[in-house]
Amino acid sequence: MSSKESILSNIRKNICQQFDMPDTEIRGIRYDDTVKQFIETSKTVGGSVEILNGKDDINDVVRRCYPDAKKIASNLPEIKIATVNPDSVDKAQDLNDTDVTVVKGDVGVAENGCIWIPQATKEKAAYFICEYLVIIISQKNIVNNMHEAYKKIEFNDYGFGSFISGPSKTADIEQALVMGAQSARGVTVILTE
Amino acid sequence: MSTKHAIAAERFLADKEGSVWHNQSIGYARTKRDTMAKGIPEWEQLRKLSSEIKRHTVTHLDYYLEEFSKHAEANGVIVHWAKDANEHNDIVYDILQKHNVKKLVKSKSMLTEECRLNDFLFSKGIDVVETDLGERILQLMGIPPSHIVMPAIHIRREQVGKLFEEKLNTEKGNSDPTYLTRAARMHLRNEFMTADAGMTGGNFGVAATGDVVVCTNEGNADMSTSMPKLHIASIGIEKIIPNYDCLSVFVRLLARSATGQPTTTYTSHFRKARPGGEMHIVLVDNGRSDILGNAEHWETMKCLRCGACMNTCPVYRRSGGYSYTYFIPGPIGINLGMLRSPQQYSDNVSACSLCCSCDNVCPAKVNLSEQIYRWRQSLDSIGKADPMKKAMSKGMTYLFDHPLIYQKSLYLAPLINSMPRFMIYNGLNVWGKGRELPTFAKESFEQMWKKGKLK
Repeated sequence: MSSKESILSNIRKNICQQFDMPDTEIRGIRYDDTVKQFIETSKTVGGSVEILNGKDDINDVVRRCYPDAKKIASNLPEIKIATVNPDSVDKAQDLNDTDVTVVKGDVGVAENGCIWIPQATKEKAAYFICEYLVIIISQKNIVNNMHEAYKKIEFNDYGFGSFISGPSKTADIEQALVMGAQSARGVTVILTE
Repeated sequence: MSTKHAIAAERFLADKEGSVWHNQSIGYARTKRDTMAKGIPEWEQLRKLSSEIKRHTVTHLDYYLEEFSKHAEANGVIVHWAKDANEHNDIVYDILQKHNVKKLVKSKSMLTEECRLNDFLFSKGIDVVETDLGERILQLMGIPPSHIVMPAIHIRREQVGKLFEEKLNTEKGNSDPTYLTRAARMHLRNEFMTADAGMTGGNFGVAATGDVVVCTNEGNADMSTSMPKLHIASIGIEKIIPNYDCLSVFVRLLARSATGQPTTTYTSHFRKARPGGEMHIVLVDNGRSDILGNAEHWETMKCLRCGACMNTCPVYRRSGGYSYTYFIPGPIGINLGMLRSPQQYSDNVSACSLCCSCDNVCPAKVNLSEQIYRWRQSLDSIGKADPMKKAMSKGMTYLFDHPLIYQKSLYLAPLINSMPRFMIYNGLNVWGKGRELPTFAKESFEQMWKKGKLK
């Protein structure tokens, strides 16, 4: 018997009583103003938020937020200031020393500041290896809670996606909160219309 | 007769300042958890739902495991099944060998701790680098975690400063957490860049999609799997859940219960291998399917491994993770240890005051204290009852079975109040150790009743 069969048959043999699946529909927390709540939560989790006005150029906003950035990674056509395209690097390691990565988020969550980022470039390292991450998301795509978010998220062929909420952080030394453990040290969310 | 837990706890408490700090620090996590729970009106509803989903899933685990592996395989992932720790380690080593891996970067995984994977791989000449900051600190110190979510919670900043001076060439005497975290970031960045493979655990496996979901704050699971082409995820079979609707319930509970955060920074879904890479999932049983057959203790299979039961436990907080003889401490560890080997881990069952606080914070409503109580009742049957307590219990049984002698003793009992301390608090009275006994009332209820003092 293979290990798979042996494990499965042992499970079948051992289950004493079976329980039905409950109704998993639950009315999660809702907010009068999801966008306002999303902005507030994003700040609580250590991120900052910029609201893009109709006439603003996104490149100017990124520049203003990170004036010293030299290596900027993005495969978004509207990011003219990008200096490296994560689709065309030879290997993920080439993205090391990236100052800023600019990506698009699909769904934002008001209750915890999460933004769903499906992998949309060859090297997902771009999202994690950078010093600072800029996430562009439309205000129309902010939902109340994770129940709503999980009904909306989608994958593409890369088969990876992550909910990201603020910068990488750790409290492993005496519970002192430090931003920028192994991944992005700061996150700016740019809210578009 | 003291248990191993009690003896180790005494050592832990000898460092008065450190043990007070430990208690307060863990208590802080509990307080943050409460604030989070109170901010969600449907919190109790979520806990109930989570418990019910888990009950359903683990009692249909054969079905969900097959669904999970079917979908993962359809995504091009290679799925392995391991009956026990040895088989798990062999599978991992075999994959690493085929890819000629010299260095493996790892994100936090209690399962690989359970399987003692690191030691095994080291013995085979593979360099294993833990990449969670707390885990890395412990690995450099050569000691195991003392908490399942905050592994280095018992280590002080000065100790980390000294360690990094020696291992990472940091400034002498600098123990600023930000400075030390930066130093670790630079050190680990180099490890990520040069590793041949990345390994993660999994907080959840989603049967409907085949996703492995990993939650971290540091992003180390993502870094570990973004540079190397090879990703191995090891998951205990109890981590499989049906679908995204269920996942949304667990994700909302997990970080709030664990560290009092609204979410972990990263909730990453690994569905396929990187372009040009390979992804493997190892599904590990190692005793879990046997737990399902234990009518009194199967509900431990609902555990999400959030650590909330430890953070709230007055015994854990005041005795530290190392006082327990099983590698998982606290209320859940007491139970999992007994399920692993009652003979080997029975010393931990006394590390509980039966305050039931753990039951009230558990996001999957595992009846932890009730289960500990049941284990205690079974100690005698496995020959692990404390002989002194057993003798005293026998005496008490005799007393309670003989009303006349009982009444006589009760009449004399207040005399004990004025006895010198050494006669009451000595090696013969195990209940007088480390605690004050209550004083006996001058009059018994019966005496008061007869005198008409009670109406």
